[in-house]
Amino acid sequence: MARTDRAYRKMMRRKTMLCAEKDYRDILLRDCQEQARKKTDAYRTQLMRELYTAHPDWIPAEEAGKIVFDSRMAQFDADMAFVRKQASTRAAKAISKDPACAEREEEKLQQLQKEHEELRNQYSCRLQREISAQLTDMPGDGAEREAAVSDIERKVDAFRAEQEKAAQKQMETIRQAEDSKIRKLSDALEKLQLAPADRPGLPEGVVLRVQDLCMYFGGVHAVDGLSFDVKKGEIFGLIGPNGAGKTTVFNCITQFYKPTSGTLLFENKAGEVISLPEEKVHDVVLQGIVRTFQNVEVIREVSVLDNLLIAGHRQFTAGILSQALHLPTLKKQERIIREKALRVLEFMGLTEYRDWYAAGLPYGILKKIEIARTLMCDPQLIILDEPAAGLNDTETLELAELIRRIRDTMGCTILLVEHDMGLVMNICQTVCAISFGKLLAIGTPEEIQKDPQVQKAYLGESDEEVEK
Amino acid sequence: MTDLNVKKEYLNLVYTDCGKVSAGEKIKKLLAVPGTQYLIFGVILGVFPLLAQLGALTSSFVFAVGNTMIYAIMAIGFCLLMGYSGLASLGTAGFVGIGAYIAYYFMQVYGAPFGIAFIVTVMISLFSGVLVGFISLRIEGIYLAILTLGLSEILRNTFISLKSSIKLDMSKVRLFGVKIGEEQVYLLILALFVLLLFITSNLIRSPIGRALLSVKNSTSAAQAMGINLMKYRVLAFVISTVYAAIAGLMYMMLLRNMTTSTSTLLSMATSLNILGAVVIGGAKSLWGTTFGVFIIYGLQSTLLSKIPFFVENPAFITMITGLLIILIVMFFPGGIAQMMGNLMQKRKTAKFVANTQRRMDGYGQN
Repeated sequence: MARTDRAYRKMMRRKTMLCAEKDYRDILLRDCQEQARKKTDAYRTQLMRELYTAHPDWIPAEEAGKIVFDSRMAQFDADMAFVRKQASTRAAKAISKDPACAEREEEKLQQLQKEHEELRNQYSCRLQREISAQLTDMPGDGAEREAAVSDIERKVDAFRAEQEKAAQKQMETIRQAEDSKIRKLSDALEKLQLAPADRPGLPEGVVLRVQDLCMYFGGVHAVDGLSFDVKKGEIFGLIGPNGAGKTTVFNCITQFYKPTSGTLLFENKAGEVISLPEEKVHDVVLQGIVRTFQNVEVIREVSVLDNLLIAGHRQFTAGILSQALHLPTLKKQERIIREKALRVLEFMGLTEYRDWYAAGLPYGILKKIEIARTLMCDPQLIILDEPAAGLNDTETLELAELIRRIRDTMGCTILLVEHDMGLVMNICQTVCAISFGKLLAIGTPEEIQKDPQVQKAYLGESDEEVEK
Repeated sequence: MTDLNVKKEYLNLVYTDCGKVSAGEKIKKLLAVPGTQYLIFGVILGVFPLLAQLGALTSSFVFAVGNTMIYAIMAIGFCLLMGYSGLASLGTAGFVGIGAYIAYYFMQVYGAPFGIAFIVTVMISLFSGVLVGFISLRIEGIYLAILTLGLSEILRNTFISLKSSIKLDMSKVRLFGVKIGEEQVYLLILALFVLLLFITSNLIRSPIGRALLSVKNSTSAAQAMGINLMKYRVLAFVISTVYAAIAGLMYMMLLRNMTTSTSTLLSMATSLNILGAVVIGGAKSLWGTTFGVFIIYGLQSTLLSKIPFFVENPAFITMITGLLIILIVMFFPGGIAQMMGNLMQKRKTAKFVANTQRRMDGYGQN
């Protein structure tokens, strides 16, 4: 297995580069189109502005009135909301100082609300009146105006066609240049194909095999002779009472702990079978295994987007020199991975939190960020450690949907530890129950629910049995 | 309503973006780039020797600024180490000594030009940084500080037994075959300082900087994301070591002689002062760190050195630094950088409130 280690790394590196190049080509092409569109819009805006500055009485009265009214009212509402918010903060402070005045403060706030509603009515009436007063002298549409506008539209159309043509031309050259690069890379990649490895100990369709896994901490047998197989593309649940050793199993798979004994076989991204204990903990992600943590481990000092960029760390191939001087190599990679992160954020529905610092975000969002981070690593196997802990029922349902969606769209296998039996029984195809580091039962959720040993482990032995 | 002009407002609302950027906005955008800021800072500091020639500044002031910049070079390396990788090292002084002794041996004894001495400094400090890093970075926190402190003392004593007093004759030193005068040394220090500021700020804003932050915040998350803890810790340590050695080299060129056994440069005070500067300035901000250094050393060389009490008892100067650290940590744990950020935020909020109030007054009028 060590024989292919070097070749594997080289291959994965090439593969990453190939994907990045493809992404970059798309980005460049999109940029071209975007620029052409922007230029056309700007041109149109400029022409219209010139026209209306020259002939102010040609401005469409009704439209102008409506737009100005709406914008003023929106501003008004925002201002009022701000003032009310300030007042309520002040009230909360006063109440916390002296709880007796709660009623009075509440009344004051309601009074303010009423005042604002009244003011809003007055203001909107007055605004409407003044706007219509200003717009009376407009003749509105005339033949001359029509002609001028259609002339502008014609000009803009011509401009657009010109821009689009230029963009097409530019895109063609980009496509040619980038395609040749991509072809070269993929050719090199093909030559690198690893020798068809025999698959020692892993039958077809199994992505992870845990065999006789033991993890001893001194005299404590946290995991003791555990064996199970995880099939490709399934959602596999690992359950057990507190202290059963579930997280220890995860730590062994991801090499945070080096197992005392046992085999851990995994089919990596290139289809090779590798023995995980031979990998270093920070190289596991390269093979395609990513994990989340029970007590959310999000980097709190940086923004949500930066958290995802950190997850994409291994995809940066730029050396220290290009990082120190911000050479084009780094800028290009940064752009590619940023776009990828934005895609992941959109997939997870986190786009609005993009620039927020992770430190102040609610727990549910942090959990989502952790899952988003795993997606940045192009995983083959995602390991989720209690993803539903601390979530309410709606959030848990959402999470179940999300996990399924990830499995289906990314085509990866998911292994999860969970205490929420509802979630496990809902989404898992196979469930494995363990207790004190030993396997209790493995099978479909229904089988596990009926298994007497599992029931005993969770509910304890019945009184009669204890008395015996 | 006096300010209502429907036509104008309509045009501004619907037809704003003409694709043209005004000159003011362009300048604003350019100023937001750190590189430009450092360049401007460098130009401002670069005028000082010129002003001294014209008689507007005393040459001792320029010398003090040059001296402070040397400490600032150490501090930005330390800022990367402490603020980004979360490691506190007290061994800065020892590595400064490496630079100073290389300057002496290579330029004075062997007569090598500045370029060679510079490269040798970088190479040797790089090597020793990697060596020390691999040994000492297996431990964290206070233990690392103690270990590096001990190491720094070992280095100092080694230097003393090697040669207790070193002297650099600048008339012998050449840069590209040109003699280096006092002003050139100042400009050289300035150029190096600005360059290192630029490089450090780039590193902070690239994958390396983010990896360091993740190592500092959560080692397990960093490992799960494929970040090699040891590699990045050693990297940060090596960078700060190299910066310290460069500072030592420049120090020798500026001061020309040093009696190692009595010099404060190689003593613990330097390491502590640098730590103090980074804490006062804000460990995560390069500008804050630079500012912190200028406060601590500027205060010492301009203000405190004029008070007879401190001249007689130089040890008490450290107490002022300590007092500053206590005050800053109590009120602004993020240092001066945080203080400035808070101030700016407050100003922004105040402006927003004032604007809202102005509009609110308008709503009621008839």
